[in-house]
Amino acid sequence: MNSNPHKPMSSAPNSDFGEETLRLIASLPAPQGLEDRVHKALGAAPRMGKVVAWPTGIRSRFSLESNWMRTAAAAAIVFVVVGGGWGVLNRVEQGQNGKVIVMPARIPASGGFSGAGAIRTPETIPGPTVKQPAKKAAAPKKNRIAQPAASHAAPQPVAQ
Amino acid sequence: MSTSQAIYAGWMEIPTSAVNEDARRRAEDAAIAALVDQYAAALYRVAYSVLRNPSDAEDAVQEAFLRVLRHRHSLAEVRDHRVWLIRIVWNVTLDRKRRAKTRPETDDVAELARVLPAKGLSQEELAAAAEHHARVLACVERLPAKEREVLLLSAFEELTSVEIASVLGITESSVRSRLFRARNLMAELLDYERNEHERSLR
Repeated sequence: MNSNPHKPMSSAPNSDFGEETLRLIASLPAPQGLEDRVHKALGAAPRMGKVVAWPTGIRSRFSLESNWMRTAAAAAIVFVVVGGGWGVLNRVEQGQNGKVIVMPARIPASGGFSGAGAIRTPETIPGPTVKQPAKKAAAPKKNRIAQPAASHAAPQPVAQ
Repeated sequence: MSTSQAIYAGWMEIPTSAVNEDARRRAEDAAIAALVDQYAAALYRVAYSVLRNPSDAEDAVQEAFLRVLRHRHSLAEVRDHRVWLIRIVWNVTLDRKRRAKTRPETDDVAELARVLPAKGLSQEELAAAAEHHARVLACVERLPAKEREVLLLSAFEELTSVEIASVLGITESSVRSRLFRARNLMAELLDYERNEHERSLR
């Protein structure tokens, strides 16, 4: 048993908390050859890329640490930026003369709706013409009280 | 300097920084190899106590050392390599357990009887011991995660409560209080299980 005062389980060795089982599991031996297999796995693991240095001649003449190389690099960057800006500006200036789309004059169909001043209105096909309804004679008003028959009608007083 | 390096040195100058880098890498590889030899078995036991599957535990150990390899630059800054490694394998193990939650563990009695040492026991005693171990492990699984973690780690003789606290990233007093709760819960669960078992035998 561990006599370490910081060892938490050492205070109650005989109580049944299932600790005996856990200790048995915790003290199981590792399988044979575990270390070798781990070594193999580590050997097969991909490594990070190695930094390759420039060849000596190139490095001495074109080293990025030299002043003229830095100046040339800065000039190249300025050239690219200015050239790009000029190119964009040039295109914009050319593009100002935009194409003018000439709309064909549209002759409105007779009897159709007016365009109401719209710039563009969809073409409409000539629809069916509606006939003018014939004027009907005004229907006589029906009397609510039915008129008696002529034979049964009371004799009308004759105007004198 | 190796042969290939000597061949290339004539055409390509290997800068001092590259040589240092190579030497540093070799030193790190040697350090990792030493860590493997020293702690692989301990890490396996930690992983096995949670996963209870030999191949899974071995995979966890390998994954832990691969993580060490990836972070080998910070190897020199580590104060206690043993606790650091246990912490890594503990996290790897918990990740694996979370991922393989549906897979059953080797909790069956026959497997436990085969794995756990049982010298000088008769067949009946062996069967009873294996059954008891299985019951204990089932109760451990029913504990809340925080209490279970502390209980599992406290079973390792080589880990003090300070080191357990360091592995779990909590204070030592938290370790003690969690362990206290875990023990009480385990005692209750085992008592209940024992009563149920006796009742079923009647």
